[in-house]
Amino acid sequence: MTELPHANYLAGLLKSWSGKPVRPLSWLNDLRARAIDRVSQQALPTKRDEEWRFTDISTLTHLPYLPSRPETHLQRHDIDHLFLSEARIRLVFVDGYFQQQLSTIQNSDDLIIGNLPDFSASHSSILESHLTQYAAFDHNIFAALNTAFLRDGALLIIPKNTTIADPIHLLFIATQPEVTSYTRCLLIGEAGSNVTLVEEYAALEQFAYINNSVTEIALAANAQANHIRIQRESKQAFHLANCSVALAHASRYLSTSISLGSQISRYNLDIRLAEEAAECSVDGLALISDNQLADTHTCIDHVKPNGTSHQQHKCIVDGSAHAVFNGKIIVRPHAQRTNSSQSSRNLLLSKTAQIDTKPQLEIFADDVKCAHGATVGQLDPEEIFYLKSRGLSELSARNLLTFAFGAEIISRISIPSLRQQLEQAVLNQTQSN
Amino acid sequence: MSAVLQSLVNQPYKHGFVTDIESDVAPKGLNEEIIRLISAKKNEPEWLLAFRLKAYQKWLTMAEPEWQNVRYPKIDFQDISYYSAPKPKKKLASMDEVDPELLRTFEKLGVPMHERAALAGVAVDVIFDSVSVTTTYKQKLAEVGIIFCSISEAVHTHPELIQKYLGTVVPVGDNYFAALNSAVFTDGSFCFIPKGVKCPMDLSTYFRINTEGSGQFERTLIIAEEDASVSYLEGCTAPRFDTNQLHAAVVELIALDNADIKYSTVQNWYAGDEKGIGGIYNFVTKRGLAKGVNSRISWTQVETGSAITWKYPSCILRGENSVGEFYSVAVTNNYQQADTGTKMIHIGKNTRSTIISKGISAGHSNSSYRGLVRVAPTAEGARNYSQCDSMLIGDQCGAHTFPYIQVHNNSAQVEHEASTSKIGEDQLFYFSQRGIGAEEAVSMIINGFCKDVFQQLPMEFAVEATKLLSFKLEGSVG
Repeated sequence: MTELPHANYLAGLLKSWSGKPVRPLSWLNDLRARAIDRVSQQALPTKRDEEWRFTDISTLTHLPYLPSRPETHLQRHDIDHLFLSEARIRLVFVDGYFQQQLSTIQNSDDLIIGNLPDFSASHSSILESHLTQYAAFDHNIFAALNTAFLRDGALLIIPKNTTIADPIHLLFIATQPEVTSYTRCLLIGEAGSNVTLVEEYAALEQFAYINNSVTEIALAANAQANHIRIQRESKQAFHLANCSVALAHASRYLSTSISLGSQISRYNLDIRLAEEAAECSVDGLALISDNQLADTHTCIDHVKPNGTSHQQHKCIVDGSAHAVFNGKIIVRPHAQRTNSSQSSRNLLLSKTAQIDTKPQLEIFADDVKCAHGATVGQLDPEEIFYLKSRGLSELSARNLLTFAFGAEIISRISIPSLRQQLEQAVLNQTQSN
Repeated sequence: MSAVLQSLVNQPYKHGFVTDIESDVAPKGLNEEIIRLISAKKNEPEWLLAFRLKAYQKWLTMAEPEWQNVRYPKIDFQDISYYSAPKPKKKLASMDEVDPELLRTFEKLGVPMHERAALAGVAVDVIFDSVSVTTTYKQKLAEVGIIFCSISEAVHTHPELIQKYLGTVVPVGDNYFAALNSAVFTDGSFCFIPKGVKCPMDLSTYFRINTEGSGQFERTLIIAEEDASVSYLEGCTAPRFDTNQLHAAVVELIALDNADIKYSTVQNWYAGDEKGIGGIYNFVTKRGLAKGVNSRISWTQVETGSAITWKYPSCILRGENSVGEFYSVAVTNNYQQADTGTKMIHIGKNTRSTIISKGISAGHSNSSYRGLVRVAPTAEGARNYSQCDSMLIGDQCGAHTFPYIQVHNNSAQVEHEASTSKIGEDQLFYFSQRGIGAEEAVSMIINGFCKDVFQQLPMEFAVEATKLLSFKLEGSVG
């Protein structure tokens, strides 16, 4: 396989874009045109870019990875093992295209949930005021590409003062090899609303593809969202994701992201506490082995006073895998009485595993409480000895401790069936042989 | 911010006088001619000129770095004079022959020299602008085999040592400013502690920039052979000018088996006025190589001056069981900027490093801690502990931390902690309740905050640093 220069890769993408059918709405077309314009002015990031210093994505230009095709033969019974029993509302996207026949939507009075283009005429003003407002694509080539190829996407508008009791499940499934899927989500939580959203990426077979996803979440005053994100793509896939969250007055955003799959995964989570007294809690777990690379970049931006943020990110790295974490916390001038904590804890299970972690604070206000910590290490020999003294074998003691390390994050997931699934996944991966 | 704190910060710079000494200044600008001129003026051997020219060629191909968290107008490297030496330039045998004007300068600065040096028990090498003026206690040190002199003297008296070690820790092309320094460095200190010798007194270098529009590019090289140990101090001041001056030094430390080098700095270059005009750009490369087994390199720095401080005293821990330490207090006020920290590169087995960094920002200043802890795949059982705390005084300043942690060995244990705090009204209230005024309270709180670092300083420096800090922050709290 010969390596194509980056320019050719982007040029191929630009060519495939011009052939796309024109959507009926002019503002959406303008948006896409603006995005493609931005794509043509940017280059793919390399290791020389500070933000991509530890993550080399040059291998994704080895194949053309043309946009995915809409047709699918997927039947319900192929994927029902991925369904969550607690979730009564489910949107299924296959290779980035919405599948009505696989989804379950319960329409209620005001709750708007469905495929984005279906609402682009009826709700154009609300869409126009939110879409791409949070995930800016001016300096982010993957967000720009996603916007340029924007077609289907999950749209959720949670009405005022409404609590959706059951979790909503968004399932993104990859079935085509060597293509790029562009997946998109937009969650708008109106004032006082409350929702639990499960965003899950899965593959049915092991092959290479690119998934470029963008999620935008806007919470109005006093709204709450519990965002659970599961990434279990194929072990050969590239997962390039951006999630941008904007929090209004006293709104609350809880996030748990679990990263298990992909050859190379990159998750950018940007949270902007745009108004006073907003709160967020961000937890993450990356569990990787072999030659996987999992890169998580988070940025929590305290713009206004009295904000709270708590973050805990854990990585369990086995084989020759490489985990990257960069957690930035910004406290803007006058964002007084911000309370922020961050911890990055990393467990290296093998000699060839690698960790690059960088918890970063940028503080411009004096009356704040900010702390961060990072640790890298292996299992504590004393803990292993203790378990062995209780009759456990060395192996089961190690497995138990590794599982417990990851379980701390998984136990925060409020959906029992999903929690069990993930605990099983962690168990499977931590059973060293 | 209350008035007491406010008035606490704005203490004028004490060392801002210009000494009226005739200087021998090279024309401004940088080219091969200038480098040859510097080399000729210093009567240097051919290999050193070759070293300089190689560095200059390398420098021409490099671009000025832009990743740092400091902002300054572009430096015109052709507008700097690369050589400035006090006249007259005849060899000095004793302190009595030193220009009395110069002596008065040191008197004003409170530099312990001559008889005062005897009291303080410190051997001093004084670098005025770019040239070493005098070295005290040379005889006494020579008795135990220690070589302590200016680097230009060492080039003539011990060329084999210089040739063997110069540029081995910081190669000529290491970074933009190190390359510049390697091309144009004019003087600096050289210190060699032979096998098995524990240096009987603290060694010290005193740096001063005196001439407007000149840069200071000094080079320090310290070598501790097997089982040797040394404690080395460095102090810096500069007069008050409205123009910015460049200080780009390189410090190289080499510790062989079981050797121990402790390097302490109290940096108080002119920081610019309260509007941020003038001041020194302090862009320094400092690096120690813990080459031998059980060797130890310890950096302690108190950074209070300079318009911009940008340096990362680092340790390359190559020897088995070698130890690296970094203790730092960085204080910024008005429009000062500091981007400082350390690099701990663990290569050998069971290497250990400790990082304690305290940043205090007041006024409109910004201070950043930027650190790297890298554990190479060969560094079995490496251990690191880092702690970096920031204190903000007022709401116009900023504090930042950029800790890079790269671990490629699973037997390593790395810990990093950071926190941010401020001097609260309630703390000041508590003090005033006990009859302690705000000014003294602030000084006590800050000294408590910096205690872990000050404890590492040699006695006289610790006293000076404590005083310096309270001057520095005079008027910023209250």
